[in-house]
Amino acid sequence: MKVFSNEETFDYSWEEVSTANWRKYCPWNDKSTHVIAVDTLSRQVDPQSGILRTERLITCKQSAPKWLSAILGGSDTSHVFETSYVDPESKKVTMVSSNLTYSNILSVKESVVYQPLSATQTQFVQDAKITALCGGWHKVKNAVEEASVTRFRENAQKGKEGFEAVLEMSRRVFGEEKQKLNGIEREKMVL
Amino acid sequence: MSASLAPECNDAKERYDSCFLKWYSEKYLRGKGTTDECAGLFKEYKQCLTTALKDRGIDKMLEEAREDHKENDTLNMRRK
Repeated sequence: MKVFSNEETFDYSWEEVSTANWRKYCPWNDKSTHVIAVDTLSRQVDPQSGILRTERLITCKQSAPKWLSAILGGSDTSHVFETSYVDPESKKVTMVSSNLTYSNILSVKESVVYQPLSATQTQFVQDAKITALCGGWHKVKNAVEEASVTRFRENAQKGKEGFEAVLEMSRRVFGEEKQKLNGIEREKMVL
Repeated sequence: MSASLAPECNDAKERYDSCFLKWYSEKYLRGKGTTDECAGLFKEYKQCLTTALKDRGIDKMLEEAREDHKENDTLNMRRK
């Protein structure tokens, strides 16, 4: 098993980050182009805890190295299943995900947590456990895990850059909307 | 907003996603969001998606993954 860990700080409030997180893979993010679709499978607010629980299906364009996709099989898209929990009271977003495709060969379990560091900063903590399940050669397993970690690291870097762009755009659009509303309010007052 | 894996569901998804995002930022995060106002739109989108998942054979894979994720609920669905 290989472990990939990563921590980032975003200079945006937890409310902004947790909202923008729902559209992390929209066209404003031109870095994470390996994600081609995000579908919501179920969503509800737990009446006891107030926690918002969401299940999503994430569809990715296959970007494994050629030798690896030869081992994994020739499909050109792969799917990830994600369950997330938002606790607005303790201000915590937790997302856990695992691969649906190739799950008999490779197990990738990822967890991401967003929590506020201050009123204007949010911390992102990412952990992934990658295990090659293919029996037999230790060397092959090791190479499969190594390649997966490398790809994970690349996507994590792109993910950060792409998400920064989404955060910036979200703030801009939100600011414009607020300005528009303020303008309307002012007009009303004049009238 | 991101696309659906089934292009025929994109319109329904777009309508639901916009509704959800508005509810999330304006109500839920402000402690006023216990009821799901977007349930009707979700139903429409879900109807389209369910067929698409079945056609692609993804529904079976999802069932297994759901089982595996059950332990996450115990960890993350804190009760007060």
